[in-house]
Amino acid sequence: MRVLSDFFLLEYPERRRKKVLNYIGRNWSLLFLMFMLGLFSILGKNFFGFRNFSNILLAATTLLLLASGETFVIISGGIDLSIGFVMGFVCVTSAIIMRDLHAAGFPQAVSILAGSSIGILLGVIPGFINGVLVTKFKVPPFIATLGMWGIANGLAWRISEGFPIAFLPSKVREIGMAYIAYYSSKKGFSLFHRPVLTERADIWNLMKIISLPVLLVIILLVIFAFILSRTKFGQHTYAIGGKIDAAIRAGINVPWHLIKVYVISSFFAACAGVLLTFKLNMGIHTQYTSSYELFAIAAVVIGGASLTGGKGGIWGTVVGVLLIGTLDNGLMLMGIPIFYRYIAIGCILIVAVLIDQFFPELVYKE
Amino acid sequence: MVFLAMEIIFFSLFGTNYFSLRNLQNILLASTTVLLLATGETFVIITGGIDLSVGFMVGFSSVICAKVMVTLQAAGASQAVAISCGILAALLLGLLPGLVNGLLVAKLKVPPFIATFGMYGIAYGFAEIICKNVPIHSLPTAVGSIGHGYLSYWLPGKALTFLKRPENLTRLELQNLVSIIPNITVIVAIFIGIFAFILARTKFGQHTYAIGGSMDAAERAGINVKRHLIKVYMISSFFASLAGVTYVLRFITGRAPAGSARLLDAVVAVVIGGASLYGGTGTIIGTVIGALIIGTLEIGLVNLGIPTYNLYIAVGCILIIAVLIDQFFPELVRKED
Repeated sequence: MRVLSDFFLLEYPERRRKKVLNYIGRNWSLLFLMFMLGLFSILGKNFFGFRNFSNILLAATTLLLLASGETFVIISGGIDLSIGFVMGFVCVTSAIIMRDLHAAGFPQAVSILAGSSIGILLGVIPGFINGVLVTKFKVPPFIATLGMWGIANGLAWRISEGFPIAFLPSKVREIGMAYIAYYSSKKGFSLFHRPVLTERADIWNLMKIISLPVLLVIILLVIFAFILSRTKFGQHTYAIGGKIDAAIRAGINVPWHLIKVYVISSFFAACAGVLLTFKLNMGIHTQYTSSYELFAIAAVVIGGASLTGGKGGIWGTVVGVLLIGTLDNGLMLMGIPIFYRYIAIGCILIVAVLIDQFFPELVYKE
Repeated sequence: MVFLAMEIIFFSLFGTNYFSLRNLQNILLASTTVLLLATGETFVIITGGIDLSVGFMVGFSSVICAKVMVTLQAAGASQAVAISCGILAALLLGLLPGLVNGLLVAKLKVPPFIATFGMYGIAYGFAEIICKNVPIHSLPTAVGSIGHGYLSYWLPGKALTFLKRPENLTRLELQNLVSIIPNITVIVAIFIGIFAFILARTKFGQHTYAIGGSMDAAERAGINVKRHLIKVYMISSFFASLAGVTYVLRFITGRAPAGSARLLDAVVAVVIGGASLYGGTGTIIGTVIGALIIGTLEIGLVNLGIPTYNLYIAVGCILIIAVLIDQFFPELVRKED
């Protein structure tokens, strides 16, 4: 009993109030996510259901990748505006390689593998250049990456000549649409293979469990969340963001480390580009109005990172991304024009920064 | 400056019809949006801030301007009333995002680049909702004649008229008609002139430099920094909405993504023009030269038949090079007091 009252601080109403406030402040984004889930479940049609939730996850995969990369950069005290267009650049490049190799008569597996890996390799280059500019030449991060914003976009446009790249190997679509398991009331579970169903109602009721893109993204996120929170590399990232002078005095090779951080961000953007190729079965360059960088940065900041560096975490970012994804999905199901998302996210971004400003001690730290 | 001259010479040599009055005017026209956005951005960058919302602000005000014109015209108002109301509404509403940006940056200490980044999303969202994701059309006909009009026309050996095209021309005469100075360029030049004066010669301009040089010192010197910053962000969004209005005049439509691609160009023009992103330096004249470099490059590439997407690559590279020059030779950068 004593332990319990201690735990809830029943004898200290002042401290209890503070603790509750603290909890809300630290987890406001999670609470807000729950609130939205509740709201949309009541208001939206078909919102609350397994199928819709897995749709939200699938739709959020690209942003999850972009925002996770951005998390590293923001924790180190920088910013990367180029990710959206790097993604478009990689998407277009890998699609072209896949299409051309396939057309040249290579087996599907070879052309797909070559397209994906060359795409990711090329996608890392912008990050390296960003890193070198920021560290060796002391260009402010948001200018270096704004330059790369233009360069990557121009290149993507130039390669694709403004048109979507289609006619990819047929396996691309299969991989992009694959699920880990299927469950049908008639045939039971089947792994990887879609059960053959004849009746329309059965096909409609087929339960698809965890899509392949979602699984791949989760694996990648777990690896990098581990790197960020449990390894020396992660510690150094926080140290640089917290106080760069102290990090230098502590013997961290700051320039080299920052280059790696920008490469990670670019790597994630490149993965998102390849993923997009699989999801769309096409290579498309990023539109100006799609504002991926806005949403990624918003997700990171909503997830509790501070733009002055030193704070944030992958799981916080995941909450931020899911919040944006839920908002998009909920608005859509309620029949509200999708453009309200830009307004909502803009506002949430500013509010998140304000919360960070006024309650610096509250913000979640991994 | 040297770079601009080199560029003009280069394109004159390699392009066809490059060095001509018509083409130079085309460059000026093509640079309209960048010139305006960059002028507003100059003020913000001199104070050490940044305004990322300007790109979508163009679309926002162009949509408002067009929408008001179309609505009033449909309600039976005369063209003159509809057009002037549309322009006024766009310019007035265009001040609002600047006010919000300024309040966020000055009073609530949100980093400028985040406050305006939020506004970038908000402005775009509103623009799309107002125009329902379709460009606004059927504007009053006089819009086009203003937007495509020239200050004066000169028919070789015949007549010089102002504002009005000479009537009853034969086809040959039409071809030889020389149009001098587009109306839009006049508008742009007037506003840029006024604000160049304000920045270089008034107390307001001096305070802007002071805040960018050292905010603490400016505060100790008794400048009301917060108020001043709010005004600066309002100037920036005023110029963005002016760019939106000129967009409507030129293209006779209002589109939500109108100026979105110009954000990079505007920042680049300011940085090429010698402003430092750390604040305290930069001039309007420098910015104008920067904007013209981009405009010249754009028209020059078109002229040589090189697709415009190369422009984005070039501009991105120029931005980085300009910042590098700023880093390595800080004493070279011009500073106006």
